[in-house]
Amino acid sequence: MEYYTLSRYAYWKYYILIMYYRLAEYPPVVRAWFVFGAICLLLLVLVVLGNAFRTLSHYRFERTARHNSRRYWERMREIVLSERTLELAEVGSILELPKNYKMKERHCRSFIPTLLELKQSLGDRISRPNWLRLLQVLKMPAYFESQILSGSTRKRVQGFKDVADLDANLKEAVASRYLFTKDRKLQMHARLHAARFGTSYPFKVLEEDPNLLFTDEMVVKYHNVLVYRNENGLAMPNFIRWCNRVPLNEELRIFAVNEIRLFGRKEDCAELLSMLQASRDEAFSCAIIRCLGELEYVPAEKEFCRRYLSASFTERQVLAEAMGAIGSGNKEILKFLVDDFLQTTDYVTRMILLRVIYRYGEMGRKAFYQLKEKTSEEYQPYFAHIECDLIDSSRYA
Amino acid sequence: MPEWIDYFFNYFVVVYSAAVLLSYVAMAVLAFLEHRKHYTYHDDAYTIDELKKSPYTPGISIVAPAYNEEKTVITNVKSLLSLDYPDFEVVIVNDGSKDKTLELLIENFDLVKVPYAYVEKIKTKPFRGLYKTRSDNPAFKRLTVVDKVNGGTKADASNAGVNVVTNKFFVCTDVDCVLDKYALYRIIWPTMSSTRRVIAVSASMRMSNGSVVEEGKMVETHPPHSLIPLFQDLEYTRSFLIGKTALARINALQNVSGGFGMFDREIVIKAGGYDGDSFAEDMDMVARMVRYMCDTGEDYRVVQIPETCCWTEGPPNFKVLNRQRTRWGRGLLQFFTVHHDMVWNRNYRRYGMLTLPYIMIFELTAPVIEFSGYLMVIYLFMRGGINYSTIWIAFLGLYIFAQLLTMVLISYDTWVGTAFKKKRDYLWFVLASLLEPVVYHPINVFFSLRGYWKHIWGTQMVWGNMTRKGVQQRKPLANPQPQQHPQAQNPDA
Repeated sequence: MEYYTLSRYAYWKYYILIMYYRLAEYPPVVRAWFVFGAICLLLLVLVVLGNAFRTLSHYRFERTARHNSRRYWERMREIVLSERTLELAEVGSILELPKNYKMKERHCRSFIPTLLELKQSLGDRISRPNWLRLLQVLKMPAYFESQILSGSTRKRVQGFKDVADLDANLKEAVASRYLFTKDRKLQMHARLHAARFGTSYPFKVLEEDPNLLFTDEMVVKYHNVLVYRNENGLAMPNFIRWCNRVPLNEELRIFAVNEIRLFGRKEDCAELLSMLQASRDEAFSCAIIRCLGELEYVPAEKEFCRRYLSASFTERQVLAEAMGAIGSGNKEILKFLVDDFLQTTDYVTRMILLRVIYRYGEMGRKAFYQLKEKTSEEYQPYFAHIECDLIDSSRYA
Repeated sequence: MPEWIDYFFNYFVVVYSAAVLLSYVAMAVLAFLEHRKHYTYHDDAYTIDELKKSPYTPGISIVAPAYNEEKTVITNVKSLLSLDYPDFEVVIVNDGSKDKTLELLIENFDLVKVPYAYVEKIKTKPFRGLYKTRSDNPAFKRLTVVDKVNGGTKADASNAGVNVVTNKFFVCTDVDCVLDKYALYRIIWPTMSSTRRVIAVSASMRMSNGSVVEEGKMVETHPPHSLIPLFQDLEYTRSFLIGKTALARINALQNVSGGFGMFDREIVIKAGGYDGDSFAEDMDMVARMVRYMCDTGEDYRVVQIPETCCWTEGPPNFKVLNRQRTRWGRGLLQFFTVHHDMVWNRNYRRYGMLTLPYIMIFELTAPVIEFSGYLMVIYLFMRGGINYSTIWIAFLGLYIFAQLLTMVLISYDTWVGTAFKKKRDYLWFVLASLLEPVVYHPINVFFSLRGYWKHIWGTQMVWGNMTRKGVQQRKPLANPQPQQHPQAQNPDA
């Protein structure tokens, strides 16, 4: 009697055929359902395996990071707090990395949480040259470079963020590759990186990009970058030139005006005032008015009064607040504010005017109480509201 | 039973079920795309750090209505005041509480009635007064307490809160909800990163029943260890991480949860605020905001973020679950009665052409179809008409699909790094998903039908009190680890 051994392929085919003929007895709906269930089962197994693998790799990463933190924390601390600029060899010997130790990607990555923690806990006490040498010995710049140049989009974006967080140095050429990429988010991170560490004039891309979408997210991030550059003595952009030279993007112009205000550049006020005189755009005008108000630019008061009567309620509110912020003690201005309070019909504008009058020094306070006496009973709650310091205590303290 | 009914029912159920399953698959795929985008570009720690440093970070107001909350109000308000955000205010609306809620607030936060010039931008029950602190504590200065006559609904109290908020965006929450320390950073971010106007942001919510909460702050997150809250936790997670995420991906999100959601104040006021008569006031609010934006031809977005920002206590027993689900069922039917003109209406874009028809076909009518299915099975069982050789295939296929959906959900949850730090906690989700189709789902069908019945017959219904057990049900560990925001340092995690 002869025995035949089925090959692996034939074995599977045999069972699939058995299933097929078994199912052939059922109606088509049941057969389709069976196939659907089988696919679901297969996917279920794959998803379970994927979850298990991800969980294990996550645990492994955490374990390595904890191990690095335990082993290298004190040594790293010693390096970055050293008052003397250490040589690379010295840094290596303090760290006591194993000989012929090759930094693989996962090793570099596992150092990032420890380095971040170190940077956050020590802050300004860190010696920058030693910090950069430490990163170099740990091969972090090379790691970031490989992540950004050959990693997935996630790794590229994360790479730029890590470089910013760790204040690491990276070749300018690495980021310049993505300055005009189609991926808007990646492009933004590359530009932010260039803006943070660039040595020439890294803001040129903003001025020259006709398709720029300047979101609030970018406003926040660019401001932080500018603060960093200012603190580290790097070249700052000429904001007033931005206001003039970037007609394509209104948000960028507004951002520039706000930056003049936040950096307190009083020398730009005269030019801003001339821009305000020519401005037709409400948002841009409001930004300039707010800026001139906060920088207490007294010559702007006259222009504020000129604009006021033809302005919208929103602009009027900003103008009134700006006049209050300047607080020059000009009787004409106070009279103007009081007159407008008596004429205006908008509730919010009235309340703002009343608050400005109340805070306009001694004479403002006097005018406020005169108005209070003159005004009918119906409007008395508004006066009581402004008089009560507790109501807006958190905002106008 | 006539044969044609039998045929019709069979084919209708097959087509309907296939459509439901396909819609679930489509949603899972859309949610995957959205989570991948979030995972690729978003880094929680980095975002929080950037916002903390910036003077451009917009202010947020938190509106939390309180009605007879004397047991928990102080702890919860302290918890809200301790949130980490540079510029926020907390507006507690005392909705005419009959207990000592207001007195306790006055006493603990050194409050005093101030002559606030209240302007009723949205109509509410009469305003009684506004309280501010005399204390020098800067955290207390963020607190505003509004006292008003009881309006009978959360909507009325929320509207009173909206009338006094000072920031452009406000978060609507419940006073008993536990918020994540960084919740405000997370919820504001979509409004800043979007190129279109974001009118509302929804964040994920979870059940706090199994977690350890100390002084109103989340210490350890765990799934609930009792069945009903566990089922609801699974249901919430599925809804937020798959359903809502998928709809938000195509800008067709139907609902921003009343437990924790952020709205654009200007649009809310222009849309008329919350409807005090609605039993689904959160869904109604989004519908009215969308209606306003579409009628005025403005572009908008309603966003869902995957991070868990809020924990709420789920119904601990069937009685409370019954009340909640009956109200939801009734609210859903009421919603379609009010907004029926938006369904299949091209003016309302994807919301009118996709979301509302989807909800109408697969959520509103589902309980009716399912219930008729149960009756049919009972009838066939009694007549001996069940084909036992095929029915097991149908059940097994459904069961496997449900398990697959749960596993996909768990993988999304771990991917975006949200809730449980201990991965073994997800086994509770697996347990819940094994029991859900046979225990929880049929009961919910019954409760929804009860809600429809009450709406049709106009039965008087009031907001019942939620029976709260308190969230500190489990003992904390000897050295509890502080809850960390997901540090997205591990690109492969």
